[in-house]
Amino acid sequence: MEPKQDDKKSFLGWVEARVNLTEIVSFLSVFGLLPAELDSKKPLREAIRGAMTQSLPSYARWPRVLGILSFLLFGFLAVTGMMLAFYYQPTSEQAYASVTLIARDVAFGTLIHQIHYWSAALLLIFLGARVVRFFFQGLYARGREIVWIAAVLSFVAAAITDLTGRLLPWDAPGYWTTVRAREVTDALPILGPITSFLVGGSTLDSMVLTRYYLLHVAIFPMILLVLFYLHFSSVRRVGMSHVVAVKANRSLRVAMYDMLLLVIFMVGGLMTLAVLFPQPFDVPADPFKTPPDARPPWYLLAPYALMEGLSFLPKFIRGLIPEAILAAVIALPFLDRESGSGGTRRLFRYAGIALLAIWGLLTWAGWFMEVRR
Amino acid sequence: MSGLRQWPPTIALALALAIAAPRAAFAQEPPAAGGDAAGTRREESVPPARSIPPGAKPAKHSKMCGVCHSDIRVKYEKGVHKSEGVPCTSCHGGDANSITVAGAHGAGFRGKPARKSIPALCASCHADVAKMRFYNLPSDQYALYQLSYHGMRLAKGDESVAVCIDCHGVHEIRKPDDPQSRVFGRNIPGTCGHCHGDPDFRRRHGLKDDPVKDYEAGVHGKAYLSGQDPSAPECTRCHGSHGATPPGVGDVEKVCGQCHLKTRNYFLASPHKDAMDQAGQPECAACHNSHKTVAVPPEKFAESCLECHDKGDKEYKVALALSRMKDDASAQIDKADKLVAEAAAIPLYVEDYRSRLQDARTALLEAAPVTHSLDTLLVEPHTRRARSIAARVSEELHEKLASRWWNKVGLGLFWFYLLLTAVIVTRARRRAAGERGR
Repeated sequence: MEPKQDDKKSFLGWVEARVNLTEIVSFLSVFGLLPAELDSKKPLREAIRGAMTQSLPSYARWPRVLGILSFLLFGFLAVTGMMLAFYYQPTSEQAYASVTLIARDVAFGTLIHQIHYWSAALLLIFLGARVVRFFFQGLYARGREIVWIAAVLSFVAAAITDLTGRLLPWDAPGYWTTVRAREVTDALPILGPITSFLVGGSTLDSMVLTRYYLLHVAIFPMILLVLFYLHFSSVRRVGMSHVVAVKANRSLRVAMYDMLLLVIFMVGGLMTLAVLFPQPFDVPADPFKTPPDARPPWYLLAPYALMEGLSFLPKFIRGLIPEAILAAVIALPFLDRESGSGGTRRLFRYAGIALLAIWGLLTWAGWFMEVRR
Repeated sequence: MSGLRQWPPTIALALALAIAAPRAAFAQEPPAAGGDAAGTRREESVPPARSIPPGAKPAKHSKMCGVCHSDIRVKYEKGVHKSEGVPCTSCHGGDANSITVAGAHGAGFRGKPARKSIPALCASCHADVAKMRFYNLPSDQYALYQLSYHGMRLAKGDESVAVCIDCHGVHEIRKPDDPQSRVFGRNIPGTCGHCHGDPDFRRRHGLKDDPVKDYEAGVHGKAYLSGQDPSAPECTRCHGSHGATPPGVGDVEKVCGQCHLKTRNYFLASPHKDAMDQAGQPECAACHNSHKTVAVPPEKFAESCLECHDKGDKEYKVALALSRMKDDASAQIDKADKLVAEAAAIPLYVEDYRSRLQDARTALLEAAPVTHSLDTLLVEPHTRRARSIAARVSEELHEKLASRWWNKVGLGLFWFYLLLTAVIVTRARRRAAGERGR
């Protein structure tokens, strides 16, 4: 660390002499916020000045935007989630009352609640779309295995975070969605017992709510964050999507402006959804009164349809089907070793289209499935 | 060392106790147990299923009859006569202590009592105040029975009518509060229906409707049999039990008025009371049916009047006016209800509105008995109150819900600001890209 003559008087210089700011910014940049590499040996200003001259792919532009958009939404969820946590009480007696308090009495409480809701919905859609895009553009081929696995797992982790969040208001739709989702997860052969262990039993009570709360606010967001880190740091190593020809190289400054525009339109979009399409506030959960339209969340509708529709098969087999599909999707880079667009690649592509179509049909069937008990 | 030295005596004492204790127990038990068992066996020729407490009367009385009539004994022992010590002989006569059939069915033996004589036979105890007062039982059942339709037909020689045993059972006579009893509240419709719901019975008596089916389909039956409202009536609450008789045309209001007090008072004050009695209409049952009791639904209110009145009549106009008052009030309440649900989904504070709407519903409910007065001036205050509360709630909620418009204005302003920023950023970006291009 050589002392800087010109920075001695400034505050930044004072801090710089004691903390490696470049290192910190470099670490943060791995989350996709700053695609350029920073030389952590140099002081921050100098390092950034150096990075400004680097050529970058226009990363905040379609279709590569899904990753950074997901991370921005994750940031929104973290901030609004912390705001909600100031008032939320995770017990079955107090949960509904505290959510009512947030939505009714806290200044901008409804808005924050609705933005949290819509951010979660969009996050899942974007993460899902990203997996689909990676698949169809062959972005899982040799060298990008970790990127693919991180993308798939981050969708799964986001889905679990979403699922655990649905129970927290302790209102009728959330409660019964969770009940139906538990019916699906309990039937899974290996993941089922793990879920049961994590949430502590299949009866939804105050203890289980506390577990769901912990899973929702700490454990799975943390896992998601790790997966984001893994994804963005891998992308730095293996490069951005290499099949899309990088037409124009941008400077870091332009990339930051792109990012700013992205944030502006995302905030606008979220605000519009929250104001024009608010989620209706429902009655508190009653374990003795099942609403007629109780069904699991959309990403579990297909396994739900399998569970309920194939009731002639043993439960073990029914649970194994979605698990096998998930395992196959994760293992895709190791199954499809061919690079380029040969015959095998085309075969995998058709299989993917067929799987997506069947999954869509099952989701549709699950939505209209009436469970008679 | 001292501890060790103390062990031997302790062990010896424990051993002594262990050996002595069983012996002591044996020394006490065998003679007593053996004596008891032998004694019981000698006295009772039938091996006892369970031990009978000493001095239990029923065992003494029924024991010999039960040797031959074991099936009847089984039924009898479930009943209240067994537990209260009323022996077989008190109804059937004979000698319960005799060990021969000839002796048991000897002097004073009545055998199976004639059907016609059963009420009097039961009354020999149950009409005896001195016997009944210890059980706090009424003793007027026989007198009531003789006045009942059943009793009067029996006196005329019709033995097909119900006598005591048809409702209470023959040997297995249970207390009315025993859920297995045939006269237990919820079993009563089935007990009466045994005859009155029987198609042959109804054909013989020229009855069209099955009163029990009708009762089950009516509001009373639904409320009572589902356990929702134990104060709803079964058959006997309207017809009486021992004095069972159908209420006459002019007495229907008295029967219904036992529970529907307010309604009865308004009905008595109305022009319907005299007019219906003169026309031979069965008062309450004329509109609400007898067994298949229904609340007249609001949409059929005026329609139901057309059964007696013509469309041009002055009376029909009153009906229409009454109907409109109630319809307006309930429509206003429904409208306010929808607004409350809409506001609750935002969520706004709706607890106050909910309780005010409850007041409105109560007012509308209060209008129901008053309607029987057929006086629009009496009904109007209630429906007006219901209507005005609901209208006020709707108005206030409308105002609150309309304020959501400002959210959209805010959103518009927000977008204006965002787009402005976007324009500035785009310009800056273009400049940066241009600089780079150069």
